[in-house]
Amino acid sequence: MTQLELKSLTKSFGAYKVFDGLNLAAESGEIVVIFGGSGTGKTILLRLIAGVEEPTSGFIEIEGNDVADIAPEHRNIGMAFQNFALFPHMSAFENIATPLRAQNAGAGAVKAGVDNVAKLLKIDHVLGHAPRELSNGQKQRTALARALAAEPRILLLDDPLRNVDAKLRFEMRLELPRLLRQTGATVLYVTQDYKEAMALADRIAVIANGKFIQTATPEDIYLKPATLGVARLFGDPSINTADTKVEMIGKTANVTLGGVKVPINSAYKQDGNRDVTFGVRPEAVEINAPNRAGLVAKVMAVTPLNERTVLLLHSEGGWEFLASLPSSASNIPEPGAKVKATFAASGTHLFDKTTAERLHG
Amino acid sequence: MGELVISNVDKIYRPRRKAPVHAVQSLSLTVKPGEITALLGSSGCGKTSTLRMIAGFEDVSHGTISLDGRDIHMLAPSARGVAMAFEAYSLYPPLTIAENMAFALKAAKLSAAESNAKVKAMAEMLEISDILNKYPTSVSGGQQQRASLGRALVRKASLYLLDEPMGQLEPRLRAILRGRIKHYLREHKCTTILVTHDQTEANALADRIAVMEGGVLQQYATPAELKLRPANLFTGTFIGEPPMNVFNAGVKSGAKTVSFAIDGGVTLAYPASELSASVSSLLSKHQRVAIGVRPHALHVGKGPIKGKVVSCQWLGDQTHVAVEVASRTVVSVSHERVSLKTGSEVELNVAAGDLHLFDAASCNAIAHGSSPA
Repeated sequence: MTQLELKSLTKSFGAYKVFDGLNLAAESGEIVVIFGGSGTGKTILLRLIAGVEEPTSGFIEIEGNDVADIAPEHRNIGMAFQNFALFPHMSAFENIATPLRAQNAGAGAVKAGVDNVAKLLKIDHVLGHAPRELSNGQKQRTALARALAAEPRILLLDDPLRNVDAKLRFEMRLELPRLLRQTGATVLYVTQDYKEAMALADRIAVIANGKFIQTATPEDIYLKPATLGVARLFGDPSINTADTKVEMIGKTANVTLGGVKVPINSAYKQDGNRDVTFGVRPEAVEINAPNRAGLVAKVMAVTPLNERTVLLLHSEGGWEFLASLPSSASNIPEPGAKVKATFAASGTHLFDKTTAERLHG
Repeated sequence: MGELVISNVDKIYRPRRKAPVHAVQSLSLTVKPGEITALLGSSGCGKTSTLRMIAGFEDVSHGTISLDGRDIHMLAPSARGVAMAFEAYSLYPPLTIAENMAFALKAAKLSAAESNAKVKAMAEMLEISDILNKYPTSVSGGQQQRASLGRALVRKASLYLLDEPMGQLEPRLRAILRGRIKHYLREHKCTTILVTHDQTEANALADRIAVMEGGVLQQYATPAELKLRPANLFTGTFIGEPPMNVFNAGVKSGAKTVSFAIDGGVTLAYPASELSASVSSLLSKHQRVAIGVRPHALHVGKGPIKGKVVSCQWLGDQTHVAVEVASRTVVSVSHERVSLKTGSEVELNVAAGDLHLFDAASCNAIAHGSSPA
């Protein structure tokens, strides 16, 4: 069932259009991540849905009903923010209780509601503390608990892990999906961190230049990016690119990288030359794969990064690119070594030179 | 291209009306000519005090620092032959980026053409060619940081000190610049000290990493050795991301079998031969140990560790599987794309060779797999 629907949603401030004609249908219980850089209007979008800001045009529907005339407190929406926004003069308990009190719940119901959600978020031992006595992680959990307390149908989370340290962010990333599912709410989750987006989302809506440029599962976003822009936003190190031409030699597509023609593993089969941007993800660069023609390159530097090791490579024609291998791999070359690079199909893409759209074949 | 020798150096701050702070404690460290060493630790570990003593901004309380066989710890900063890039950039505001970088070359008395060529090449490497004629305040933090780095690297020095040199860099540039800078430092045989709190940065760039905590050097080793043979539990859990899984366990070392009873009910048992005779005999002297298992060594498959999947997250180049085992969460990393349902029951295994065993009380390493620490 569609829980939340955005129809041609547009927001302008004077002559400045923040976004233009956004469409999105989120199913009941679905986690949709709104992903984009800073200044793309992600927070404003949440504010429109919450009802604290009005759209310039278009509609927001909850369970099929236009909510334009429904006040924020009656939309049954929970919200949490990156700066926590806790009331400093209230205990954690009272902070979490706010939405329940706003619904005029009785004392017993308030206590039961707060205790329940505090247990879920493992903050039941700090309920008596004021926000200033809480660690950043506990503040963030308190803010989440407050958003969840009234059992909202829709949960809007604005980059809630932004201001917690890396270790806690990682732990929360592992834990959050299960927690959010337990609430049964439809979640719109805003983040600028692609790993967080992939880890949490059922679907990701990538926002740039006032539009959703792709709305799809993490798998599709990563493996079938709609545009060069989307491909660049996901992955670390980001995708290697080269502006070049593609042409068929026999039945194989070839691109020219640093003046050298290289066969690639692609569904592309169009005759003639075409200007393209060639892209290959660092983890799709294979080193010294047997029985295949590839690009000869020199290893300039080897930089081990935790579970992956990144190689900086210069091809014979002077194309600079990165390869990423599991650090446990047995074939990690030494700096200065000459290697043969081939490109696995799953991470090899061609994009139209002018539209930047991915070519499908 | 100098050799830096730090011997028995202490730094004691004596603030008025407060207790003295022993920020660095008898630190001894040698950086070989052309070697890249990272001083790694969280804030307050003593890495910045060490850097400031090497640069000459801070007196040495005890001990000596020498560069190329010459004691430098009593010399003025400018007489030490050290080039520095700071976290706070410290570019001269009235000079353009190009002038800032060329300023460092003044002492070398190069011709204008030579100086320009050096600045130009450095700017290309650091992707700041387009801002050479701009002033520091009109460019982004990441660009200022690259300019500051360029100013340090463009001149010849016996030692390069880089303080958090890449913290502000745009993520898209970071990976490629790490590679280029490492290559540059190697090619020019620059003896380098890199100060950072980011273990990923240290691993990527350094030949050897000095892990510091509480003013004390914990371990000084190559990135590979730090991963494979952490000297203590601190180093083991500090290096690596996702971090090492740690289990507290009782240990029984018999003639045939070594078994670990993990708190919460799981038992791991291995033939004593897999852990080697010397490790089994070491373990027989312990009742309790901390077991460290790197996420990539914890495999989902048949095994003695039973748990429930908390989450299974594919990130494009790796999958993180979180599993609840004995009411705590452990993490397994796979380079394949794995799909497991939240809440499903799984088993995990770890090979004897992948166990890191630490003394429960001192937290010092006892053994790594079959090899004693």
